[in-house]
Amino acid sequence: MAKEKKISIIIFPGSNCDRDLFVAVEKCLGIKPEYIWHNCSHIKTTDMILIPGGFSFGDYLRAGIIATKSPAIKEVIRFCKKGVPIIGICNGFQILTECGLLDGALIKNSNQLFKCEKINLKVMNNETVFTKNFKLSEVISMPIAHSQGNYFVKPDDLKKIEDNDQIIFKYSSIFGDVSEKYNPNGSVSNIAGISNKKKNVMGLMPHPERAIENFYNGNDGIKFFENLKDLI
Amino acid sequence: MIFRVYVKFKDGILDPEAEAIKQTIANMGSKSIKNIEKGKFFDIEVDNSKDHLKEIEKISKDLLTNPVIENFKIIKK
Repeated sequence: MAKEKKISIIIFPGSNCDRDLFVAVEKCLGIKPEYIWHNCSHIKTTDMILIPGGFSFGDYLRAGIIATKSPAIKEVIRFCKKGVPIIGICNGFQILTECGLLDGALIKNSNQLFKCEKINLKVMNNETVFTKNFKLSEVISMPIAHSQGNYFVKPDDLKKIEDNDQIIFKYSSIFGDVSEKYNPNGSVSNIAGISNKKKNVMGLMPHPERAIENFYNGNDGIKFFENLKDLI
Repeated sequence: MIFRVYVKFKDGILDPEAEAIKQTIANMGSKSIKNIEKGKFFDIEVDNSKDHLKEIEKISKDLLTNPVIENFKIIKK
């Protein structure tokens, strides 16, 4: 019998999407993930790491920065080097940029608002392990909830991530029109989600774990998580 | 001894909070304010056992600032 695969969810003081993520993983992938507390200095084994949204350490100093100094993040970096897939959602995305696993930074929304609404996302790259079941340019829908989701990267670094196909999702209209009108937070080039160069780390601001029920925000989140089936 | 680390956004990074403060000042009637940039500082007290400048620089780079969006300056108080 094949060894049971392990999905780990890292939790920090102030994380608040860990339970939703647990339910989404269990529902869509059929396995119970394990919770890893932030001060865990040794993760024995894992096949995928998920970093949930929330306000780790109260967003003190900068969103995500305090979390990057946790022992568990050292382990995340160790597993990243081994090629283990890692996904950061919302605050998880902020943590991944702050610890240097992803390019750029997430700053305050240009409109000065905490944006909490359902948005549309255009799939910009369906050749990653995280998105291979989507069609290229497919539009999916899920909610955002953040005040610091304005993705910033210098123009020359933007060119690099574009050339490496690291842009995974962009904010768009329901018909896939990527224009400023559909940008909820001021992100450079409407970027909502990116990967690293090696494509084993992805961060995104929207919340797929909040879109797994028909009656609440739709179920495009199920599609999102089902992409991960082959990884486990 | 105390080191003060000033942290400020790099040029070109939009700071909506500073924009809101600028707008509020304009609403209060000041017509001559052209621009406002906001930052923060940290006073870090160290013992006198050695020169801590290198250590403070490392802390500033690794924790207090995000080099993608922020600059820092250290002064001895």
